[in-house]
Amino acid sequence: MVKFSLDGKTVSAPEGELLVYAAARHGVFIPTLCHDEKLDPYGGCRMCVVDVEGSPRPLPACATRVTAGLAVSTNSSVPQYRKTLTEMLLSEHLNANPGGRPNELLDMAEELGAAAPLILPDAKREPYEDRNRLMGYDPDACILCNRCVRYTQEVMQCSALSLEGRGPTARIVPTHGHSWLDTECELCGGCLSTCPTGAIYEKFHEGAPPQHERSLDQVKSTCTFCGVGCQIDLHVDPATKRIVKVTSDPGYVSNEGNLCVKGRFAFNFVHHPDRLTQPLVRGEDGELHPTSWDDALRVAAEGLRGVKERHGPQAIGVLASARLTMEENFLLQKLARTALETHSIHSCEAT
Amino acid sequence: MDVLRLTSLLAELPTPRTSLLDNLGRIRREVGPITAELSDALADHMNIRHGEVHEVKSFYSFLEVPVDALRVCTGPVCDCFGARALLARTQEHAPPDATVLEVPCLGHCELAPVATRGDTILPFGRDEPVLHRANEGPSLGLGQADGTLADYERRGGLELLRSLPSPERILAELKASGLAGYGGAGFPTGLKWEAIAAEPEPRYVIVNADEGEPGTIKDRYVMELRPHLLLEGTLLAMRFARATEGFVYLREEYATARDRLARAIGEFRAAGLLDGLSLELVVGAGAYICGEETAMLESMEGRRGMPRLKPPYPSRFGYLGRPTLINNVETLAHIPAILRAGGERWPRGRLWSVTGAVREPGCFEAPLDVTPRRLIEEYAGGASDEIGAIVPGGAASGILPPAALDVPLTREALREWGAGPGSAGLQVFPRRYPPLRLLGETMRFFAEESCQKCTPCRIGNRALHHICAELEHGEAAMPRPQVEEWLDAMAATSICGLGQGAPIPVRNAFRLWPELFAPLGSA
Repeated sequence: MVKFSLDGKTVSAPEGELLVYAAARHGVFIPTLCHDEKLDPYGGCRMCVVDVEGSPRPLPACATRVTAGLAVSTNSSVPQYRKTLTEMLLSEHLNANPGGRPNELLDMAEELGAAAPLILPDAKREPYEDRNRLMGYDPDACILCNRCVRYTQEVMQCSALSLEGRGPTARIVPTHGHSWLDTECELCGGCLSTCPTGAIYEKFHEGAPPQHERSLDQVKSTCTFCGVGCQIDLHVDPATKRIVKVTSDPGYVSNEGNLCVKGRFAFNFVHHPDRLTQPLVRGEDGELHPTSWDDALRVAAEGLRGVKERHGPQAIGVLASARLTMEENFLLQKLARTALETHSIHSCEAT
Repeated sequence: MDVLRLTSLLAELPTPRTSLLDNLGRIRREVGPITAELSDALADHMNIRHGEVHEVKSFYSFLEVPVDALRVCTGPVCDCFGARALLARTQEHAPPDATVLEVPCLGHCELAPVATRGDTILPFGRDEPVLHRANEGPSLGLGQADGTLADYERRGGLELLRSLPSPERILAELKASGLAGYGGAGFPTGLKWEAIAAEPEPRYVIVNADEGEPGTIKDRYVMELRPHLLLEGTLLAMRFARATEGFVYLREEYATARDRLARAIGEFRAAGLLDGLSLELVVGAGAYICGEETAMLESMEGRRGMPRLKPPYPSRFGYLGRPTLINNVETLAHIPAILRAGGERWPRGRLWSVTGAVREPGCFEAPLDVTPRRLIEEYAGGASDEIGAIVPGGAASGILPPAALDVPLTREALREWGAGPGSAGLQVFPRRYPPLRLLGETMRFFAEESCQKCTPCRIGNRALHHICAELEHGEAAMPRPQVEEWLDAMAATSICGLGQGAPIPVRNAFRLWPELFAPLGSA
């Protein structure tokens, strides 16, 4: 731990910690737009600049590390810079709400009382159309913070997005302007999750009203698609009580807010009419009939015992679902080897 | 696309990421403009993700256009001397399959309005020889060109490289000379060299030959007229820094300099002067920002040329994260003369590019405290028109009225005018060229060359261009106090010199031509 000065107060933090975090812990909130803790410091939006004694210019708190004796001020000209930078970003922010996702730039504008003094004549960016059905993207809502591109490069190690060009025509697009489906993209939606303005959004919410995401109830859950156990937040429409969106918080331990295409987008099965919600047993009439778990398990056990008696235990094979956890797989092989007495057990996840 | 040629070329191309820019340049020259397919093929060959090559190739202005494209410069001097008409004529008369490009600067302002066809320079838009107009100058001797290494040696060249003064003496002479970087920032060269010597090896030396400031042609003159002199200065730097690898990062538009340097490096190698050292020419692809030293490092490492956050500075964390000494062409070219004469006795001077409304535009070595009037009258043949605005040292150095003609072009004297000597590119504009147009064109240049990394530069320059354009019709796009706030934010919060320096000419104009900005209201 080293001591440094923050707005005149002496505080301490681990040496080398990013200033933006150290300041937050001591009650000084420094806003950022291009920063994401999962990504390397970028220092592009400049929203987090602070005055540092001895530096000829303010420095970005998202990329400056705490050293002993550092003297930091967020009071002097910093608030004015923040307001001006917000005005600048607003002056080419033609579409603030393509898909009802939160927009941190608008939040900041509201807090600072900033408005666009002009609309740049070259603000309109070349539009982008994609035939995929999950992710939409409106370049006119983008602030070129490059978080999405850096997420693909640094976290997913894939090549889905590029910061294309230089000067006023620069824009972020899937590589070569192709459809995401024609790049290495697996539609994990990570770029969507890190976008601070909602320029990338769930396509099925295109045209949703502003603040739509914030109007939804959140229920914490665990993704059931595989054994990783990603923590998710199910977003429930309070009126219809249906899940309409899935997100994940970067603070969640098992997956740090990252999801795959299934976890993020494949939630429709929950409300599907074909979904089984109770055990079914086939009756004498050949049809499936609802029953209790005890009865269903009894029928299954009898059936298996019958096969074992008639044909021997090796006539039984067990196939484990890829959705099981390691512990469930352990129990299943225990069941197979000790109760069913078969070696034939396999998981479709096997490599 | 010639698939066979691509396949055989790919087999020759090295795969380290640092070769990316050079590989893209070679594919463009030998196969054709870099399309998505070519970009992906190279990415696969080099084991880089497709998107990262796409980002890099689209960053530069020229990788996606044919080598033989017709480029018409519309930089401020060219614009003043009829570039728009030349562009229109070129578009009208070009063969149907030709690509005609408007480019913001070609670095040949003394030939304004200038165009290029591939590597051929077209002075005033015509097929005619390119002539140099330079004075002899006690330090650089540009009055006479060195054709070969033997020519150079006959004039006393290579003496210092052969005798190789001790690092201590070199440092002492550099400090005594007061030499400060001539690329524009003016950092004391002695301090820079001292800093690099204190860092651990291995170290690199890079020559910044990405001269791109509109109105600045001096480094090109040095490279075209006395390439061996630059190389001697470079090798002295490499010997001093104990660097075994050196690079010259040259802007793409300087085709003649490219040839002369390549030949001179070959002569040095053949004469055994590179013993144990490698010196490589890295050719850019059209991006002004790559003259910013950390953007240049990014570019050389095969990424988009976007400046790094500083600190750390390149002397500590430079090329591939190693300590790196980066000097401008002219700065290095003065070093043999400094060591020969001794720092105290070295005739302090620098090269001034003098272009625009003068009879004999060119490049002249003159004392540091020369005035614009002396440069115009004693060196450049006198004004060819009634003088309106002058730009003392390159696009971001300021815009001054004729009243400043007798101000010495030193950092100190110009500071009082809110300007600076920058890269010593004096541009003289005739009275008929409106200062507002000059300012607007300058802002357009910055806007188009902004790398897009930081908000104030990316948006501020476009807004200023728009404000100037509106003012030409007497309209106010934004009230003056707010413009001042935007200028403050640009100067203070931009990552690099491009955004930090862009407000200088605007503030100059506010102060010196207040009547032009009346529609914006009072400050």
